[in-house]
Amino acid sequence: MAHPLLTVEDISKTYDGFKAITKLNFYLFEGELRTVIGPNGAGKSTFFDLLTGRTRPDEGKIEFGTEANNSHDLTRLNEVEINRLGIARKFQTPSVYTEHSVRENLVLSLKGPRGVFSSLFQRLSSTENDRIDELLKLIRLEAKGSWKAGLLAHGEKQWLEIGMLLAAEPRVLLVDEPAAGMTDEETYRTGELLLSLAGKHSLIVVEHDMSFVRQIARDGRVTVLHQGTLLCEGKFDEVQADPRVREVYLGRGKHGTR
Amino acid sequence: MVRLFLIQTFLWLACGMVAEAQDARHEIAAATLLKGEAAQIKALNGLMGQADDAIFPLLEAWRKDRLFLYEANGKTVPVLLVGAKDKEGMQAAERIDTGKPLVDEKGAAIRLNAEDLNAVAHSANLRRVMKAVLDLTDLASSEPAKRRSALAAIGQAQQLEKLPALEKRLAVEKDADVLAALHEAIALVRLKSPDRAVKVAALKELEQIQSLASTDFIATVEKEAKLAKDENLAVHAHTTLLAINRHRSVVDFGGTLFRSLSLGSILLIVALGLAITFGLMGVINMAHGEMIAIGAYTTYVVQNVFAAGLALSPFGFSVMIPGLHATGWFKESYFLFALPLSFLTAAVAGILLERGVIRFLYRRPLESLLATWGVSLLLQQLLRLTFGANNVQVGSPSYLSGNWVVADILLGWNRIFVIAFAALIVFGVWLLLTKTPVGLLIRAVTQNRAMASCMGVRTERVNTLTFALGSGLAGLAGAFLSQIGNVGPSLGQSYIVDSFMVVVVGGVGNLVGTIISGLGIGSFDQFVQQYSPSVAGALTEVPWVGGFLQNLAQDSAVFGKILVLCAIILFLQWRPSGLFAVRSRNLD
Amino acid sequence: MSEAPENPLSPPPLSNSTAGILAFAAGAMLILPALDAGGVIDHFTLNLWGKYFCYALLALSVDLLWGWTGLLSLGQALFFALGGYMHGMYLMRMIGTQGQYHKPIPDFLVFLGWTDLPAFWKPFDQFTFAMAMVFFLPGILAFLFGWLAFRSRIKGVYFSILTQALTYAGALIFFRNNTLMGGNNGFTDFKEELGFALREPSTQRGLFVATAAALVGVVIFLRWLSGTKFGLVQRAIRDGENRTLFSGYATPAFKLFIFVIAGMIAAIGGALYVPQVGIINPSDMTPDKSLEAIVWVAVGGRGTLVGPILGAVAVNMLKSYATRAMPDLWLILLGGLFLLVVLFLPGGLVSLPEKIRGLWKKSIPATLPA
Repeated sequence: MAHPLLTVEDISKTYDGFKAITKLNFYLFEGELRTVIGPNGAGKSTFFDLLTGRTRPDEGKIEFGTEANNSHDLTRLNEVEINRLGIARKFQTPSVYTEHSVRENLVLSLKGPRGVFSSLFQRLSSTENDRIDELLKLIRLEAKGSWKAGLLAHGEKQWLEIGMLLAAEPRVLLVDEPAAGMTDEETYRTGELLLSLAGKHSLIVVEHDMSFVRQIARDGRVTVLHQGTLLCEGKFDEVQADPRVREVYLGRGKHGTR
Repeated sequence: MVRLFLIQTFLWLACGMVAEAQDARHEIAAATLLKGEAAQIKALNGLMGQADDAIFPLLEAWRKDRLFLYEANGKTVPVLLVGAKDKEGMQAAERIDTGKPLVDEKGAAIRLNAEDLNAVAHSANLRRVMKAVLDLTDLASSEPAKRRSALAAIGQAQQLEKLPALEKRLAVEKDADVLAALHEAIALVRLKSPDRAVKVAALKELEQIQSLASTDFIATVEKEAKLAKDENLAVHAHTTLLAINRHRSVVDFGGTLFRSLSLGSILLIVALGLAITFGLMGVINMAHGEMIAIGAYTTYVVQNVFAAGLALSPFGFSVMIPGLHATGWFKESYFLFALPLSFLTAAVAGILLERGVIRFLYRRPLESLLATWGVSLLLQQLLRLTFGANNVQVGSPSYLSGNWVVADILLGWNRIFVIAFAALIVFGVWLLLTKTPVGLLIRAVTQNRAMASCMGVRTERVNTLTFALGSGLAGLAGAFLSQIGNVGPSLGQSYIVDSFMVVVVGGVGNLVGTIISGLGIGSFDQFVQQYSPSVAGALTEVPWVGGFLQNLAQDSAVFGKILVLCAIILFLQWRPSGLFAVRSRNLD
Repeated sequence: MSEAPENPLSPPPLSNSTAGILAFAAGAMLILPALDAGGVIDHFTLNLWGKYFCYALLALSVDLLWGWTGLLSLGQALFFALGGYMHGMYLMRMIGTQGQYHKPIPDFLVFLGWTDLPAFWKPFDQFTFAMAMVFFLPGILAFLFGWLAFRSRIKGVYFSILTQALTYAGALIFFRNNTLMGGNNGFTDFKEELGFALREPSTQRGLFVATAAALVGVVIFLRWLSGTKFGLVQRAIRDGENRTLFSGYATPAFKLFIFVIAGMIAAIGGALYVPQVGIINPSDMTPDKSLEAIVWVAVGGRGTLVGPILGAVAVNMLKSYATRAMPDLWLILLGGLFLLVVLFLPGGLVSLPEKIRGLWKKSIPATLPA
């Protein structure tokens, strides 16, 4: 079996005595689309925070790279360095630059040098312009390229943010609740878009909407987090059939008080 | 044996003095009539160390040619002319021996013209004796404080001829503090003694009483002994000096610690209100300094209401606030009334500020900083127009002035009071925040505004309340600052930068953080001030800016403030959100 | 809808307002001195405008940080005054022996008992060295402070408070006599600059032209900067710094760069201010002066290029008038003005036309019969 792209072993994180993540193991392989589900407080957002350098684990290792002896220790890097390695994140609440135009949002996210001095003299090449046009078409905002991003509808902002992720051409996309605030049709299209990215990119998608999860997890695996630990992992149907999962999450209706 | 003899001599002299001392007036009157300088000097020497209040005015008058000899019926009466001159230049005359008006046989007061009379003569030697007598009169003063300061002056002057008078006092003096000062003065004077044994004994004594005032004189003894090749005495002096300097460094440390605590308490009182409003709302209130000034001016007004009233003329309107003309303890109790009033006035101003300005700016912290600066300018100028641009004086009640000396460390009552009061305020705020329903609401909104709002907390009202609390605390701080320094329109400005620093270091919304940071910054500042002159020399070793640093370190107050700032910036490298940070899971 | 250019990284076309300022400043650069030379306006007026333009440079430096990057610095008066002091040291040396004491060193040094020039004063005999220091000293201070502040991610009001303390500390240092920078009184009584007598109207005209040229240059530079990708990142930091970090931009480096540039722009303003106003002292270095400059920007309109210049000129014209006509009320006026702008006109004067247009549009339906 190939070496995973992202190796997470035995990580723990405690906030003021609250155990957000406990002894979690997680492996992501190149080109995989992994869906992560779990009830509120399962540690999904903290997990992303740890992967992107927003916080550091109390213990455990997070390594990035397919070669065992040439991988990066993410626990030692900050969010900028991690982003530059090719790990990009879409936040739970859409975070786009509201005062910039849609196009400028994409320009800021394009793969390329990020230094102070290069930014002073950088000019967009025609291929880069074409790339932006292509992205605008993909996220269906080609008519709104000059709109202020703050004026977009909630779903459109989600799409713009996905477009911004793609502009950076990362190796790994961390996508936090992409379907929130979208219509069913938009949700379905988002799912198809994510599926089309798998293979070229590796993705971790956190989602609540079960029909959406069913859609995007049709080929890949699903990881269930519960109280900061890994509950189980497998195909969507296997996971759904697992009694532990039914207990804590899917089957709450059956065992719950209501 | 020698000592016994000396004591006997003192006792005898003291008894004689008591016998003669029945009336200094008679003695002076008699002295004026004596013939010959020597006799007069002898007579005046008898006055040495007496405490009669008449001595000072009479000898002063003698020295300034205002004692006269009145001759009538072959008798000469020494008199002092008093009161205003009438048209003929006549003045009332007062007998020196009794202090009563001079009368003729019929008992009618006699008026005299100075130009018709002979002034009592005085020579240079006589004047010197008079001065010596005057110096020593304070030794017998009825006030211990006066006696102590006189002793300190005599000790510093080191005149051997005063030794007998000092030694006389040993038997008479009862007050323990004054007695200690007397021993110190005697030892200091004895350092000048030609007798080597006396010198050595004096050094021992000074070492034993750890006399801080003596170091310069002991250093002189050491130098002279070296010149005279008296190695043994020089070594004696040197060890004494070392011992006293060790004591001095302990005293300095204790004093610095006390000043640290007192400055820390002031910073704490000043910053507490700011920390509460900043913690709750993320609003930096630039007008906090003016809330302090409002509190201080309230104290000023209350003080004047208890006294003669106050006339103000804001914008050309003249307003007269009547006074109660209180006296005694009631007048002194004004401060107890001023405290709650300062709190209330500033709290009301805070409510107006919150309702009128800040509530529109909750989501824009930078703008609220700017708007409150506008308010601060406005208030400062209003205060200036109302109370005048100059500082006003707020007198401390007598129970807040004075010092308490513990092991040579001077502890000012007002500073002790500030420390105690800071502790009290902190305790009060802690009680309010943790043990009352209001406190529960405030903490709830601080921790999670949205959630509190959902639970039915009226966050708007809590905001106003909290702002009133923060501003009221600033007002209290102002009442206190009025006891330490002058009150002026820009009073708050001198504390505002420091109190911001306390909040930044303490972290948001945490009482413990504010306490630690207030006391910490106060101590850091005071210790830098105390010890920066001694490290100034070493600073020249710093590359590039060494000379500049050394120059700067000579002004310890400025150096202290600058080092505090540098320390804070470095501290924030380690803890960017202060000592205690509130964690947030939101992106921004 | 904002009208963003099709290609954000090609140089943006000059907007009307920017072209307006450029035309205004460039016109002023030529016309005012000509009017002065011809005797149409008096020297005082020209001098006043020179001062306004120096303040405009200070205002631009404030706006570059606050309006464009979201950093509210209360330290810009410090950089302004430092620039002024650096130029002032040269001007003090050019007094030569014409001082009150007729000694070859500045009067205040004679007064403090110095007979020789302190070593650090010596290179300031050179104009070029002094000019280099105008940029270097504020630049190095901004770099050191900014490096420490930004790497520990101090932002928002924390940054404001620390820059305020920095300015306060600077003023404390310069208030000391032993700093050998003139203490309380600072520098004044300058005689000549590069051999030209400062009291000559022609010299003052030259200084005015230099100021107006510097203003035009800085406006062009900032206009260019805002059109680069750097400008995009800068505004991204203002609107969402964390997002910018997660896009792979090391925001501390960007902020540091802009902080140093802004410090230097303020310093240019200060350096030009000193020979025209004829005095520099530590009271120009206080946090309150920084806040006053922030008032100009707020009144004019932040986040624009016209706003700061408009605000600096308008508020200072008002100040020149009010401090003479009603000295007691000036501070109340300033505080009140500021309060009103922050509360009711956050966009400043430049947003006024649009606001009025908005009110106009809203009022139309109200006047129509239902």
